[in-house]
Amino acid sequence: MEDTAKSDVRIGVFICDCGSNIAGYLSMKDLVEYAKTLPNVVFVQENLYTCSEGGINGIKAAIPAHGLTRVVVASCTPRTHEPLFQNACEEAGLNPYLFEMANIRDQCSWVHQQVKEKATERAKGQIAMAVAKAARLRELSRIQLGIFYRAVVIGGGVSGMAAAMALGNMGYEVHLVEKEERLGGLLNHLNMVLPAKEPPSRLLDDLRTRLENNPKVTVHTRAQVKKSEGYVGNYQVTINENGNETVVKAGVIIVATGAKVLKPEGLMGYDGEKVITQLELESLLKQGTPSLKNVVMIQCVGSRCAERTYCSRICCMTSVKNAILIREADPSASVTILYRDMQMYGVENEDMFRRSKELGVRYVTYDPERPPEAGDGLVRVYHARMGKEIALPADLVVLATPLVAQDEAQQISTMLKVPLNENGFFLEGHVKLKPLDFATDGVYLCGSARFPSSIREAVSQGLGAASRAAIVLSKEALFTSGIVADINPNTCCGCLGCLEVCPYGAINFFQDRGICQVNKVLCKGCGGCAATCSSGSARLDGFSNDQIYAQIEQALAG
Amino acid sequence: MASNEVLIIGGGIAGMQAALDLGDMGITVHLVEKNPSIGGKMAQLDKTFPTNDCTI
Amino acid sequence: MVEFSGEIGSFKAKVHRKARYVDASKCTACGACAEKCPTKVPNEFNFGLNDRKAIYKDYAQGIPSVYTIDPNHCRVFQGKKCGVCAKQCQAGAIDYEQKDSYVDLEVAAVIVATGYDLFDATRIPEYGYGRFPNVISSLEMERLLSAGGPTAGHLARPSVVKGEARLKELPKLIAKAEKDEKTDAASALNKERKWLEEHVHKYPTAKKLGFIQCVGSRDFRFHKYCSNYCCMHSIKEAIIARDHEPETESYIFYMDLRTVGKGFEEYKIRGAKVSGLKYVRGRVAEVLQDEELNPVVYFEDTEQRCVRSMTLDMVILANACSASKGIVTVAELLGIALDENNFVKTHPNKPLDTSVPGIFTCGCAQGPLDIPESVAQASSAAARAAEVVMTGGRALAV
Ligand SMILES: Cc1cc2nc3c(=O)[nH]c(=O)nc-3n(C[C@H](O)[C@H](O)[C@H](O)COP(=O)(O)OP(=O)(O)OC[C@H]3O[C@@H](n4cnc5c(N)ncnc54)[C@H](O)[C@@H]3O)c2cc1C
Ligand SMILES: Cc1cc2nc3c(=O)[nH]c(=O)nc-3n(C[C@H](O)[C@H](O)[C@H](O)COP(=O)(O)OP(=O)(O)OC[C@H]3O[C@@H](n4cnc5c(N)ncnc54)[C@H](O)[C@@H]3O)c2cc1C
Ligand code: SF4
Ligand code: SF4
Ligand code: SF4
Ligand code: SF4
Ligand code: SF4
Repeated sequence: MEDTAKSDVRIGVFICDCGSNIAGYLSMKDLVEYAKTLPNVVFVQENLYTCSEGGINGIKAAIPAHGLTRVVVASCTPRTHEPLFQNACEEAGLNPYLFEMANIRDQCSWVHQQVKEKATERAKGQIAMAVAKAARLRELSRIQLGIFYRAVVIGGGVSGMAAAMALGNMGYEVHLVEKEERLGGLLNHLNMVLPAKEPPSRLLDDLRTRLENNPKVTVHTRAQVKKSEGYVGNYQVTINENGNETVVKAGVIIVATGAKVLKPEGLMGYDGEKVITQLELESLLKQGTPSLKNVVMIQCVGSRCAERTYCSRICCMTSVKNAILIREADPSASVTILYRDMQMYGVENEDMFRRSKELGVRYVTYDPERPPEAGDGLVRVYHARMGKEIALPADLVVLATPLVAQDEAQQISTMLKVPLNENGFFLEGHVKLKPLDFATDGVYLCGSARFPSSIREAVSQGLGAASRAAIVLSKEALFTSGIVADINPNTCCGCLGCLEVCPYGAINFFQDRGICQVNKVLCKGCGGCAATCSSGSARLDGFSNDQIYAQIEQALAG
Repeated sequence: MASNEVLIIGGGIAGMQAALDLGDMGITVHLVEKNPSIGGKMAQLDKTFPTNDCTI
Repeated sequence: MVEFSGEIGSFKAKVHRKARYVDASKCTACGACAEKCPTKVPNEFNFGLNDRKAIYKDYAQGIPSVYTIDPNHCRVFQGKKCGVCAKQCQAGAIDYEQKDSYVDLEVAAVIVATGYDLFDATRIPEYGYGRFPNVISSLEMERLLSAGGPTAGHLARPSVVKGEARLKELPKLIAKAEKDEKTDAASALNKERKWLEEHVHKYPTAKKLGFIQCVGSRDFRFHKYCSNYCCMHSIKEAIIARDHEPETESYIFYMDLRTVGKGFEEYKIRGAKVSGLKYVRGRVAEVLQDEELNPVVYFEDTEQRCVRSMTLDMVILANACSASKGIVTVAELLGIALDENNFVKTHPNKPLDTSVPGIFTCGCAQGPLDIPESVAQASSAAARAAEVVMTGGRALAV
């Protein structure tokens, strides 16, 4: 130990009572006396509440008074209190990364309330480990970065249009990139939408006009994003519009590329004429209601099966909608829906479901083990309630097929370094708490590109993604954390081990030099690369090997 | 004169997330909650679907 | 909130701030006060399944991290002598003189995120909630499963918890009745005690569970709508119960299992495969109770085409998501429209906008939603509010 202790290391240790939270269960006097005996420790103080104004001022005063070059606080959790103590250090002129915490509350006094003596010994060990690490801490700095105050939205369906509109309204410049000739996505191909009960053109025309009139929004149609380089705040996005390439410098990117309807080739006798999809039915109905006597709709065709386990969320409501429209137009037409579960969640959908029953739409459950069969103008299905197979006449069979990922999803995923899930939908940072963010800063998602969604949900998510993006655009500058990884270019062997483990897409591989490099802006300091690197080239500042080994040695010694 | 602050009524997960987003954009938010602590129903849940991690 | 006026860009609101009788800037949430406070109050956060003190915090990680005195129970406010907490508090945070205050706010936009209330299942007498101790609500189940809950995560049958509490107080009651020479009462109490002693501990842990779906939802008598998240939370609760106790068997009685979110269908399949949950299609008609206080469920089994019954250790109701009780007052103050269910009215193309420009809504205030959808919507409402702020209060459409 002694040999590594440098003479300029002067450590101050602050031990907190946390009222009675710590002092009630540990012997504070012992801890103070013990801390004084540790190498390099020149000052020890006990506080009732280190985080109170008095405690903080105590730290600030002790740094110059005792010439402290490192500060250790033994108290509660760094998750809530580290920034506060780091600030105190910084205000007293000490680099905030020359600070270390020992959590003797959550990890000691709270969990060992019955055994005061043993718990005190344990807390001593924790303090000794923190002191050992503190002696080896180095100054680190945060880097300041500029931001391009501009957004690129990929995909011009309702979700992308809503996102672009919100950012435009907030005053940010937006480039909306749509690969087709016109904005609107799937809605362009629909007949009527429920529950709004209007042709989709109403919503689309309104959105299109307002986007075109918004001076902040530039719409690119027949356009695709070819290339994207950079990181949060500083992307260079190459847009190819009708063969012309332009580069847009943007701070954030929103992915709103939607989804497409599965074509059920080879399923349930699909032929595009007598057996069609709901989407094809929408075009039929758009041309005027065809005269139909018996319509049978079959749910979950190509979904909730071994190949595609998920439920596509919107196909039940689509079938109910079209059943209602057919019955309303021609009450003599019979409509039967064969289903597994009717996914009419929420207020509006259940309303539609009830309305369809009032209109006389018939519902029959089927067992996926004994699926219906269509052919010769009949649909045969095992009817559980009757306990036998029945045959339904059908001059039209309509299959509810799921929304599946776009073909280009993989290309976008690779280009933006954001992941897809097992079904090819984009994978958010956290399914519950960060539904519209990717793990990578600066890139967001919404609408059916994330998961099949209704119009209500797609619009809402588009606006939500705009809000997440606006958080970056509203900043004056971005700062990197001091705790970031670094890869030694002289020893890196280019094995790509780190690149694969990094969850934030923060590592770049340089083909020409055969080495990996860390993008310090994207790095979140998780340490995955450092733990993986087989050549020992990746290092995490603030958690370097010598610092951690010193802690471990201390732990084993105590 | 136009104000540049926002009032949020209800401090459940929805109110909290809206407040966090606005706060992160640099907008002053007033969050009004009728109970002594925020969190709403979610604070009473054990673990939550679909990830089954704890709620707070 | 008690007063509201103005229009988009410059609304004026008066907010009533209830006194905590604890100075929030001084309290460090050490809990020393509550440890010594002599006054016990049934803990409504855990549905009275355990006690809290008159000075309390809802739950350990509650934010803000400040204790609050409940003036309805604290001895000082009941005119008795005490002051124990003020002596205990090293931070000097207790302030019995603290007054309610009013705060005037001027804001550009408002977001209504008042959430929902759990449907009151006593309104469906045939399910026995409130009459049978082992028929509980979904939220009570969450507290029972929680490590921070009244039983530290152990699935004790409520009849056991309540029976034990009753057994503790019975000797005192019996002694009092005997002293007052009320022989009838005393013998009745003795009988109750004997019965409890014989029965309470027979089935201490709930191992055979029945989940009844759509309680108050999809029901013409109450809420016509589907509450969106209850199929999923019943599956979740059954999975967690099984994690706690590998012998747990769960039956979920449903009409449609609505698992429509990202990863939800897979979650349901895993529930059956890994945790052995049994999904039974059929609506439960009635719940009765046998002499061991076991709930007995009568249901129509649509797959077997007959009415069957099943005896269970505990029944968990999937209570509907009802509109928040206070929403009518809030809506009247703000002047916003509600729908027929008392959720805040919105249009499918403008999902965050209420009927008043500049007032937005998100989460369960506008209809039942799960957490991922609530979080996404909250960001959306934030975007709408930010548009108003950043453009200096002009009314903007989506
Ligand atoms: C048959 C059917 C009926 C429906 N009926 C209803 C209804 O009645 N009510 C309701 O609420 N919902 C309905 N829906 C759902 C509705 O269609 C979706 O909610 C909506 O389309 C989702 O919008 P989006 O913006 O997420 O995706 P999309 O509409 O799929 O739009 C995505 C856009 O991105 C573009 N794009 C994709 N990749 C790229 C790329 N690489 N570069 C540039 N652009 C790209 C696409 O061309 C498209 O324009 C229905 C769906 C179907 C299939
Ligand atoms: C038993 C159960 C289990 C669940 N499990 C899950 C799960 O595992 N995963 C999941 O995704 N979802 C789950 N949910 C759904 C989840 O609870 C909701 O999605 C979520 O809580 C909605 O949040 P919210 O903010 O809209 O409403 P709430 O949580 O109800 O919050 C509303 C807040 O507003 C306050 N408030 C109300 N009125 C006023 C007023 N007038 N003035 C001031 N404040 C007011 C309330 O006190 C409350 O704090 C579950 C629901 C239940 C019932
Ligand atoms: S929404 Fe309906 S049809 Fe579509 S996958 Fe789900 S259950 Fe099947
Ligand atoms: S520390 Fe984590 S985030 Fe940073 S580069 Fe390494 S793996 Fe990526
Ligand atoms: S004064 Fe009230 S809150 Fe304080 S200890 Fe006494 S009863 Fe409890
Ligand atoms: S004793 Fe004082 S500081 Fe501690 S929790 Fe109670 S009021 Fe807060
Ligand atoms: S989510 Fe499930 S339990 Fe809840 S109301 Fe809808 S169908 Fe019934």
